[in-house]
Amino acid sequence: MANPSSLWHTAGRVAQSTGRSLATPSLTSQSTARFSTSAHLCKRKRRATNRDNNPNRGVSSIYRSGPREPLSMSDIPLPRPREFTPKVEVDKDHGLWGFFPQPGTCLMTPEETEKYGRSWTAEELRRKGWEDLHKLWWQCCRERNMLSTSIKELKRSKLGFGQSELEQRDLTVQATMRNIKAVLTERYYTWEDAQAVAATDPEIDLQAVDGSAYNPGSYVDEFEANEDAWAGKKDTLPDAPEFDDPAKEETKAEKKLQS
Amino acid sequence: MFRPTQSLLTGSGKYRHVRLTTKDVGRGFYKGNRTGSMGRHTKYGTYQIDWNKVRTYVVPDLSGCQLTPYVSAQITKPESSYKGIPNGPRDPYLYIENWKDKNQVD
Repeated sequence: MANPSSLWHTAGRVAQSTGRSLATPSLTSQSTARFSTSAHLCKRKRRATNRDNNPNRGVSSIYRSGPREPLSMSDIPLPRPREFTPKVEVDKDHGLWGFFPQPGTCLMTPEETEKYGRSWTAEELRRKGWEDLHKLWWQCCRERNMLSTSIKELKRSKLGFGQSELEQRDLTVQATMRNIKAVLTERYYTWEDAQAVAATDPEIDLQAVDGSAYNPGSYVDEFEANEDAWAGKKDTLPDAPEFDDPAKEETKAEKKLQS
Repeated sequence: MFRPTQSLLTGSGKYRHVRLTTKDVGRGFYKGNRTGSMGRHTKYGTYQIDWNKVRTYVVPDLSGCQLTPYVSAQITKPESSYKGIPNGPRDPYLYIENWKDKNQVD
């Protein structure tokens, strides 16, 4: 132990023991050292210095250094909290899972993100009825919600790349939605024009209230006369697009007419 | 309907790049927050909700719906079935033909 005070003692004892056998000229210096009136503990002593003379240097709660000296309770182990994570009941069928790819999953894997088809074309959508287009529109809305949530989750959890792929997928959904709107607009304009045509058609009675708007019988004579020409014209027509629910479209048309 | 001044927001002006704040415009200017109004303010400071302005969304029952926003890329895009028709799918005569063929009732 290189304590300055203990060194002082040993040095004193060495001087004491050697002084007796030595000659007298050194007695004056010995007596001043031995009869110092300043108290032993008050004597200025060199302490182990560090760069800022901070006695608590290195003691940090952040780095969990602990105190410099062992404390009275240092041998007693601290109580540890019970390892308990509450089990949260999650409904697998909850509606909010619609914002995620699958119930219980946070994000799609890169392979799943890339795995999608193309958007619906207008030609495909023209063959769909109102109900189907309505459902498809809301499916697109749900898909876009899911993609938007995925992008936010990607940013929040800092999982890396993938935003561009999700945005590409979103553009595909938007193209489908744009086509739905285009087809419905087109259908409405065609219905408007068809009203004008129906007004000039002798077989169609737009004023009929009992649901008998179409009267081919009233036109039967002329129809028979022009049967060949009519059939020839029909042959030139290509296959008409099939509407899933044409009745609904026509119902709307007639209702508007009557009002 | 309140609308922000178009000349401020378009063209090569400052506000194409800088956020428009209330300090950039005159008193009474309504900047809006990209949502429409749902009613009106009364003279007592309260807000009267106009239920004709509140948005309602008609969502169909999607349970069991098998439609997806995407079509498989392996399915070829169909050819137009309106070739030879003057206005294509916009042809009103074709519409009438369809109606006579499949509906006839109303």
